[in-house]
Amino acid sequence: MSDRLTGRLIAVAIAALLGVVVVGLASAPPAEPDRAHALAERLRCPTCDSVSVAESPSETARAMRQTIEEQVADGRSDEDIIGYFVARYGEWVLHDPPVGGRTLLVWVLPPLALIPGVLAILRRRRQLPAADVSDEVRAAVAAELARCADEAEWSDAEWSPGRSPRADAGEL
Amino acid sequence: MIAWIGSAGVLLALAGAVGLVAAGAVALRGSSTLARRALRPMAGLLLAGAIVAMGALEAALLLDDFSLAYTARNHSSQTPLLFTIATAWAALEGSIVLWGLVLAGFTWGVARTVGPDDRLGAGALAVMGLVAVFFFGIMASVADPFVVIDPVPADGPGPNPLLQNHPLMALHPPLLYLGFVGFTVPFAFAISALVVGDAGSRWLARTRRWNLLAWSFLTAGIVAGAWWSYEVLGWGGYWAWDPVENASLLPWLTGTALIHSAVVQTRRGMLQAWNVALAIATFALTILGTFLTRSGVIASVHSFTESHIGPVFLAFLVAVLVGGYGLFATRAHLVAGAPRLESLASREGAFLLNNLLLTLFAVTVLIGTLYPIFVEAASGVQVSVGRPFFDRTTVPIALVLLLAMGVGPLLPYRLARAGVVWQRVRIPLLVGIAAGAVLVLAGVRTTGVVLVAILATAITTAMLRQFVISTRALAKGPTNRWRAAWEVPRRNPGYWGGQLSHLGIAVAAVAIAVSGSFGTITSVSLDAGGSAPAGPYTLTLAGTFERDEGNRIAHGAAIELRRDGRTLTVLEPAINEYRNQVQPIGTPAVWTGLTQDVYVVVSSLGSDQVTLEVRRFPFKYLLWVGGFLAAAGGLWAVWGRRSARHADAAAVVADTGEGSGE
Repeated sequence: MSDRLTGRLIAVAIAALLGVVVVGLASAPPAEPDRAHALAERLRCPTCDSVSVAESPSETARAMRQTIEEQVADGRSDEDIIGYFVARYGEWVLHDPPVGGRTLLVWVLPPLALIPGVLAILRRRRQLPAADVSDEVRAAVAAELARCADEAEWSDAEWSPGRSPRADAGEL
Repeated sequence: MIAWIGSAGVLLALAGAVGLVAAGAVALRGSSTLARRALRPMAGLLLAGAIVAMGALEAALLLDDFSLAYTARNHSSQTPLLFTIATAWAALEGSIVLWGLVLAGFTWGVARTVGPDDRLGAGALAVMGLVAVFFFGIMASVADPFVVIDPVPADGPGPNPLLQNHPLMALHPPLLYLGFVGFTVPFAFAISALVVGDAGSRWLARTRRWNLLAWSFLTAGIVAGAWWSYEVLGWGGYWAWDPVENASLLPWLTGTALIHSAVVQTRRGMLQAWNVALAIATFALTILGTFLTRSGVIASVHSFTESHIGPVFLAFLVAVLVGGYGLFATRAHLVAGAPRLESLASREGAFLLNNLLLTLFAVTVLIGTLYPIFVEAASGVQVSVGRPFFDRTTVPIALVLLLAMGVGPLLPYRLARAGVVWQRVRIPLLVGIAAGAVLVLAGVRTTGVVLVAILATAITTAMLRQFVISTRALAKGPTNRWRAAWEVPRRNPGYWGGQLSHLGIAVAAVAIAVSGSFGTITSVSLDAGGSAPAGPYTLTLAGTFERDEGNRIAHGAAIELRRDGRTLTVLEPAINEYRNQVQPIGTPAVWTGLTQDVYVVVSSLGSDQVTLEVRRFPFKYLLWVGGFLAAAGGLWAVWGRRSARHADAAAVVADTGEGSGE
């Protein structure tokens, strides 16, 4: 069996199995929403450190879970129940910082941090001093490199002492 | 007497540190033979002083010398031996002594590598000396562990109950400190490289082993801490995104980034300035971590002690940041080279992605951790940033990292042709997706679990495939197959150590996803002799007990755990009353089976009825296994690198692939 054929068979198999995975996951019955638990996860246990009401084994958290369940059973809305605890414990009790108000920035800043990073990598790429090498030469060299690499399989030598990186980084 | 010896040790170490800074600074300038010759003795003096100080503190604890304020506050004559030893780092002053000792050890290790006419090494020692001056200066002033009290109490209260509840607590801090302090070495060399203007990669090459060592210890320390939290705190979790946990994760993230980007610099001459910045950041984050832990700025489970050293640490942190990045801003051009990235689809491209993601991960955790402090400082209002924030922001980053971890090692340097990549990726991808399909068909419908399983299986398969190929290539010669299988990781410890760490991370990722998604909790009430089911298990109350264990009185229940009529174990979850604390502490009992943990906590204990919370977590133990595998991979890379020096000729197979391409 030629390598090309093997490759195609593998591709087909991958696609088929991927189909099974995607269809299986998509057809999963929606999980029973456990409102009380979800709410407890959004509230911080007042007598513990950094643990939500849902996780904590403490007396206080147990009592709060009870209260949440009662209020859910009474048909109160999520906002009402959360508001009930905020009124008692202050903003501090919100384990899940709201996207807005005082905690808006905590959500905004991390994605912003991505921008300089991506820009730096893209700029690095553009500064390629490659103008004097034609595309054909490049492709030929790349093909040859790949052939060599395939023959010996790729190297696992990620670093070897005594070899100058500057020399490595030289012209193609 | 002991106090006097201890203080003398601190002063001795301080003198050694000051001498090291002076000798290093002079040796850095020119070719003063005297200064250069003084380096090693000064490092020796530092180490000797640190050993004396630590020894004196341990002696005071072991001999129940309550004339020391530290012993009187943190020790009791009834504390068991292991926890008595560990009490030396259970409170602030002692933990600084341990820090100082580890730092002195690393400094001595670096001093042994400094040769004649080695300005880079001399500068690094001067920087390490400066850091040591800070720590031993603290010990000599604001956090003196050898303060004597009068009158001498007959006994002390003993350490914080949570700290004497599990043997892991004796292990976690030293491991963590070995990691934290180890990252002083790359910082010292990076600063020295900036000062000297070391345009090559010498500073990186010289720190590589130290970085790996520090990383391995930090990894093991974090895992030990998580395990302790699971075994002791009784909430079934292991990571709460507590500010102090985050403080240990931050340098781990940047340290991991540094280990990877160092490879790019050594192999491809890229990222020189970035590596310097990462080395400074990692060190600064270890100081930030200690500041957060020890200053009481954030009330947290780890802030057992609050003291006035907060401002001192903050000042040191600012000095490190301003000094380090000031030097970086003015002199980075001396170490930086022209960036060359031929294609993002290449090994170095994957490394860049890895660095981008790890840095983003660190920045996100840093923002989430510090945000409440800044809000409170600005508005006086206390807000919380808890698990929902960290899970939602970091889990996607972690998934992409996992993907990069799988694909990266398969890509060739410089340029990855689609054909070549497909050739290498297709089998692992096939096996990974097949594993996902099997899970879905078996009824697992949780997207996160299936995704992680696919990635982890693909990563493992790729690793095995590479191992088989490398072994076969080696076995073609006179070496037989089994010998080749042993030789392959020996000949290229850097690569295979890294792969082992990747395997560990993949295993840990599976454990995190599975135990997080399929954990169950049930509450059962048992009368004497009564039984109740929990999943496939049956719990029977065999009786209750009250046991005087010296430092504590344990009130607990003996629970027989059975499955299919067979008794697996007797669990003894308890509520412990410590002599030095009013609030009793619940301690879970954990049984680890092949497929799941059964985790039992007493929620109420009557004379004839016991209420238990029974949690079951599938494959939780894989998290510890994976974590320690990751740490072992780092150690393999360090250890192998040593012997590799004598086996240059052996690197034939390993080098041919890339060698022919260059």
